[in-house]
Amino acid sequence: MFSRYRDALLWFAFALLAAAGFWWAGRRHEPPATPGRAVISWYVIITPLRDLYMAEVAAFEKLNPEIEVQIFWVPGSEYNVKLKTLAAAHQLPDLFFSGDVWVSYLRPFSRDLTPLVQRDAAEFGLDDFFPEIRRAMQLDGKDYILPEYVNLSLLYYNRRMFAAAGLPEPTADWTWDDLVRAGQALTHEGQDGAPPVWGSSRVEGWWGEWLIYVRQAGGKAFSPDGHRCLLDSREAITGLRFYLEKSSKHHISAPAGFEPLNGFVNQRVAMIVGGHINYWVNYNQTLGLDWDVQLLPTGPASRSGGELAIAGYSISQESRHPEEAWALAKFLTRPEAIAAVVARGNLSVRRSVAETVMGAPGPHANPRHLAAAYRQFAFGEPIPHHPNYIEIMLTVVQPEIDRMLLGELTPEEAGRRAAAAVNAFLATFDPAKP
Amino acid sequence: MHRRSPTATVCLYATLVLGALVMLAPLAWMLLTSLKTYPEILRNPPAWLPAKPQWENYRTVWEGFAYYRFFLNSVFVAVMVIAGTLLTCCPAAYAFAYYDVRHKELIFGALLCTLMLPAQVTVIPLFKAFAAIHWVNTYLPLIVPAWLGGNVFGIFLLRQFFRTIPRSFIEAARLDGASEWTILWRLVVPMSLPAVLTVVIFTFLWSWNDLFNPLVYLQSESLVTLPVGLLYFIARAEQLTGGSLGSTPWHLVMTLATVMVVPVIVLFAFVQRRFVEGVAATGVKG
Amino acid sequence: MNHRRAETFWFWLFAGPAVVGFAAFSLWPMLESLWLSFCSYEVIAPPRFIGLQNYAYLFAHDLSFWPSVKVTLVFTVIQLPLAIGAALALALLLNQPVRGRGFWRAVYFLPSILPQAVFAVVFGYIFQADGGLLNRLLALGGIHGAAWTTSPTWALPVLIVISLWGFGYPMVIFLGGLQNVPRELYEAAHIDGAGAWARFRHITLPLISPVIFFNVVMGLIGSLKVFDLAYAFSVAQAQPTPGGPARATLFYGLNLYQQAFGYFHMGLASAMAWLLFAFILVVTFINFRVSRRWVHYGD
Repeated sequence: MFSRYRDALLWFAFALLAAAGFWWAGRRHEPPATPGRAVISWYVIITPLRDLYMAEVAAFEKLNPEIEVQIFWVPGSEYNVKLKTLAAAHQLPDLFFSGDVWVSYLRPFSRDLTPLVQRDAAEFGLDDFFPEIRRAMQLDGKDYILPEYVNLSLLYYNRRMFAAAGLPEPTADWTWDDLVRAGQALTHEGQDGAPPVWGSSRVEGWWGEWLIYVRQAGGKAFSPDGHRCLLDSREAITGLRFYLEKSSKHHISAPAGFEPLNGFVNQRVAMIVGGHINYWVNYNQTLGLDWDVQLLPTGPASRSGGELAIAGYSISQESRHPEEAWALAKFLTRPEAIAAVVARGNLSVRRSVAETVMGAPGPHANPRHLAAAYRQFAFGEPIPHHPNYIEIMLTVVQPEIDRMLLGELTPEEAGRRAAAAVNAFLATFDPAKP
Repeated sequence: MHRRSPTATVCLYATLVLGALVMLAPLAWMLLTSLKTYPEILRNPPAWLPAKPQWENYRTVWEGFAYYRFFLNSVFVAVMVIAGTLLTCCPAAYAFAYYDVRHKELIFGALLCTLMLPAQVTVIPLFKAFAAIHWVNTYLPLIVPAWLGGNVFGIFLLRQFFRTIPRSFIEAARLDGASEWTILWRLVVPMSLPAVLTVVIFTFLWSWNDLFNPLVYLQSESLVTLPVGLLYFIARAEQLTGGSLGSTPWHLVMTLATVMVVPVIVLFAFVQRRFVEGVAATGVKG
Repeated sequence: MNHRRAETFWFWLFAGPAVVGFAAFSLWPMLESLWLSFCSYEVIAPPRFIGLQNYAYLFAHDLSFWPSVKVTLVFTVIQLPLAIGAALALALLLNQPVRGRGFWRAVYFLPSILPQAVFAVVFGYIFQADGGLLNRLLALGGIHGAAWTTSPTWALPVLIVISLWGFGYPMVIFLGGLQNVPRELYEAAHIDGAGAWARFRHITLPLISPVIFFNVVMGLIGSLKVFDLAYAFSVAQAQPTPGGPARATLFYGLNLYQQAFGYFHMGLASAMAWLLFAFILVVTFINFRVSRRWVHYGD
């Protein structure tokens, strides 16, 4: 009735195909180590520097023929979650991009680099790193990151828009009042369907800008031991109020939700307070954008309060090739590598490179006030090392700030509610507490 | 049947046409945007039609952003899931339809209960277990459940259909000496092709459209499927275009969205009648 | 081997994989997640039993729990009647003698099978405050559009609107139900002089009430589990954290995912999962009880 042989053959073929499918589905990503050659995996955030990293890895492999490097690219927005997931699955890559916002959480999975740093300090020039960077590298006196990048809060401004308005460019002596005055002169409400132009952007959705004002007004996000939130202090509330009043009172920023997308690049905002150094590359690639930086305007209580965040390389605790990963980390942070990163538009974490660049500007004329940027190092504050820092700031605090911008809460209410919420969170989830 | 007045007829068709336009408008806008240049998508007032269709956009995302990789990943996962579903759901449905075994109804009821179980309830222990056996960041967590009858809805649908096949057919085949396995694949399944096809399409849609599981289990960019790939693309678009564009390249995003949707539409066009009837049947009998 | 034993053998051979899959991928994870919901499990360290603390935190302190419950309930209460209503209305239209019924049915059904992620992305683009299609159209009419996707007031309504494109499943199921209503009943009512509304109210509605019930239950469970739409919307809007602005679109399923895989509070997320499961069980049970009063199963 039925052809048994043909059926058997078909099932056999099906089984073969299925087996091949399962092999493919379960294939490990790191290829088996070829004898005498160590394979190290490296997770990187996708940036415009992609080609630079490829070239660096090629050069490294040439110098170290016994090491093979595998790069995995991850979009920045997913990076944090991916890295934690891999840590949870015990699949962390040997070398990964880490920063002071992540290092506390990843600490149980990250190798203590102190012995390696101490051993090779002379070789890779530990003293060459800026002291502020050196401080930010450490957690309880131990090294977990070899730094490559720094993000620093600065005042960014559009030179052409200042010239067109007949305004003098910002100086190092600016205060909040100067920011408001210049901002008002630069703001044009849109007429006849033309989009509005704002004196200053307002960074919404994260702590990038408001935390500067809080700290410059004399406030703090956390108590020094990290167990209490202090956003309900009078000083912190002063900072939050200034952040709110940029639009509600001074009208130098767009109302909540109407911030023009990439307004600085599109020349629809004239100034950014805070900003991010990652964007320098983009700014320099945008035709017709003539921009510069200056020290942050001084707040009512203090000049410091801007962010100084570092990022660099960490090595997994489970890495089977820590020495090889360490060699690559050193290679990627050697002066020549830092110089290449800086040449694309970045600040240097090494003094020697910074001095060279300031002496002879790179291919990009902007920013001209590089010296001001390096001066700002002294006024930057590291991010609090708390394992749940990002979560607390984004999900516990930020919604209250958002509601304040929408006019639902006063700055006092927002500060009070945020502090109470964070303290309840810390009481339950603070891993630092016994 | 009584006749409709001409006014009522006009109203009926006008409503249908208008409604259809509303339903399809977002898809049309997606397609049109995918064929525009970057300056065109920024134009104000909006340009409805691209001055010159930019088919080049498809080449750009396909090759330039290695989008074919996400596409092939999606196809691979869908094929494996469908194969596993058929291989295990057909026998299970056959067993539940024809065999008389103690506690059969109880077991079937328990299986059906899982239809109510949200994925969110099971995902954490599963993630924990898959991580322990080093399956995270492979396709196995997406595929293996399908090879163990993971599509309970499919079992249910097939069982309903199998039961409509007269038992005498099966008895006759048994008398002819055919094994149960042969009867299932050579007699029952071919007779139930509409139901099998419905199950195949449902399975395809679930796998193709699924965002949750790939998001949880796949970590490497080279592994992800289309829905995650689309979101990855948006997340990194600015970096990929080197910031040369002032904002999100929506024309390219819409190109990707179109690539993701077209296979579904083509498949649906071929089998829509049967599929829609399959869906309708689930409601009436369910 | 006697007949009975042979049948048992074949039953377990055929249904065995599915039963194993049920045990491994549904039953066991369900029980384990119940256990985890009483633990502190942050992945860094093994689970540690803490009794009811996760539940206590959710109810008393967690800032995202109640807002996410509210978002989900508001969405369900508004979206479900709209979707069921639209589905029923269209099914009634298509149940008329219409030319090309198959075509119309396919057109209205099509959006339902497309990936939710695509819909979230495309609509996100259309609704964008700055440069979106809708606001540009409004500007042509001299209206200054709202910041649809970035305003906490409008973001959830926008998601409700987007999700309304997906009423295809209930529509098709209604159509199936309507076609089972015997034509003679209408004829008889027509002769008795019953108007269109009376026919709908007294014939159609009672006869398709089981189908309405089925759609309500499925729609309810579906809207309690919303994830893809909300997550994709967040990414397409470049929200720093999913569920924004100001938790306005923080659906329960999205919140659970964030707690579990964004922040690795796996114990807390397990507690959320079990609350969801329990809620679905209760709602379904109530639904079945209430349905006895208005659902007429033909005998």
